[in-house]
Amino acid sequence: MEISAAPSGTARSRTRRWMTGARRTQLFAYALVLPVVALIIGLVAYPFFFALWVAFTDRVVGGGGNWIGLDNFRYLAKTAIFTAAIRNTIIIVLATDILKFAIGLSLALLVTQRIPARGFFRSFLMLPWAMPAFVAFLTWRVLYQPIGGGLNLILTETGLYPHVIDWLGQRSTAMPSVIAASVWRGFPFWFISILAALQSIPKDLYEAARVDGANAWERFKMVTFPGIRHVVLITTLLSSIWTANAFEHVWLLTQGGPSDATMVFPVLAYFGMQTQRIGEAAAVSVAMLPIMAILVIIVTSAMQRDDD
Amino acid sequence: MAGSESRKPFSLGRMWSYAALLSATAIIAFPIYWMIITSLKTSRDIYRTPALWPSRITFDNYIKLFTEKHFLEPVLNSLLVATTVTVISVIISSFAAYSMIRFRYRFRGLFGKLILFAYLTPTSLLFIPISILMARLGLGNSLQGLILVYLSFSLPLSTWLLQGYFRSVPRELEEQGMIDGHSRLGALVRIVLPLSAPGIAAISIFTFTGAWNELLLALVLVTSESSRTAPLALNYLITSDVLPWGPLMAGAVISSVPLMILFFVAQRFMVQGMTAGSVKG
Repeated sequence: MEISAAPSGTARSRTRRWMTGARRTQLFAYALVLPVVALIIGLVAYPFFFALWVAFTDRVVGGGGNWIGLDNFRYLAKTAIFTAAIRNTIIIVLATDILKFAIGLSLALLVTQRIPARGFFRSFLMLPWAMPAFVAFLTWRVLYQPIGGGLNLILTETGLYPHVIDWLGQRSTAMPSVIAASVWRGFPFWFISILAALQSIPKDLYEAARVDGANAWERFKMVTFPGIRHVVLITTLLSSIWTANAFEHVWLLTQGGPSDATMVFPVLAYFGMQTQRIGEAAAVSVAMLPIMAILVIIVTSAMQRDDD
Repeated sequence: MAGSESRKPFSLGRMWSYAALLSATAIIAFPIYWMIITSLKTSRDIYRTPALWPSRITFDNYIKLFTEKHFLEPVLNSLLVATTVTVISVIISSFAAYSMIRFRYRFRGLFGKLILFAYLTPTSLLFIPISILMARLGLGNSLQGLILVYLSFSLPLSTWLLQGYFRSVPRELEEQGMIDGHSRLGALVRIVLPLSAPGIAAISIFTFTGAWNELLLALVLVTSESSRTAPLALNYLITSDVLPWGPLMAGAVISSVPLMILFFVAQRFMVQGMTAGSVKG
């Protein structure tokens, strides 16, 4: 343990004078940080490595589990539902990221204009984010119902489409429905982040670009885009990590169905756990880890750069 | 771009902007409207004669939710869990954040990295080992277990955000307070925390809503009916054979409307905190 701890930013001469109290100060500093660090080690770091280990064992509920190497992964790779989960997770992440970005950016650009009632629009557009995810997806579940669902009612009553659609019950519409509900609930995060970035771009840059004769698209390319690039990068990474690991949207809307049309990793891992085969279930969530690790490492360095 | 249209009040561009914003507003409003209206409809209006407007407003669904479906207990459980997690989380995360920005010691950098990684480690990876761990500790199927787990989920973000707020409190103010006779802890409580009030407000709301909204861990950890939280109780309403949309939407309204009101009141803090730390959606 290092003894020369002193309040940061203190000049060297003062450190010397405080030497006697230094050890006490250091113990105090450790004591303050201890509860958080202990809880994180106990309930995040330890379970993390435990999950890694269990994924390589044949553990079942109540049993010990033996090391079986890659057998769980080999077995999973052969099952259709696991490959469906990989494919669906990738589809959901890509589709929702692109849509949330497009919608979030357009709306943020619209409310940065000087138009009446923009304060109202700003607050209102954030509403889905204030709604608990489980409430949002339960509500969409009701909206998608063939009988008594609001979506079908709008289509039939306005005459847009005369037949009732079982949105969540058929393969062709289940996935787009899950994506639409996820975008509805998730776009405000992009909207707010991009809006904050837009507001931090100095107005004179636009004036200067205009004086130089830049048209709207050139101003976007040369002033707006560079100003929001970093925020968009972090938002994309965070949103991808959360979406890939989200459980509620699929669980509450379709439980992965019909058959495996909307099955994703977290739901499959949960089902795996229900069948008591813990090793296999852990392998499902660990299989995502390499991709997650890459995303996490990029976002960590980006966020720490922000912080410094 | 901004303001370029402001001199021409009735320009075509502005009309398009309004049309786009109004349709976005409608798309956001409709599901919320549907949630509220379904909770106020009679069963007949929900299933037999569905319409965009109800023929009659009724509170039957709410009554049914609390009498037949016993929704009061889950709501109280959720309140208890979320409040406890918030109070403990605010206290110990402000200690940790203060320690990490005011003192220099070995492992400080490591702790910082640990906190960031914990923030980004997804629940979907942790729920299996956590359920084993909690069972082993004898905390499975208990609200205490849930509180402990939710704490570990909220602490990384709270600590991370508070560091940013504490950093902006001038050292001189704090040193002045210590000269005036406050201990270091006293200076933290009397000077640093009040000056970081917006940050404390933001992390309190995030922590509370995070614990209030959590479903997966509750689903895995809680088995007995008496320990169910609100999301869990509603989840079990849809996994039963008959789907009671009316009471379900009544539960959805009760679980979300207080939060949406809170959001409007505290919006400024939340947006500030959110853009600073990029909060889990």
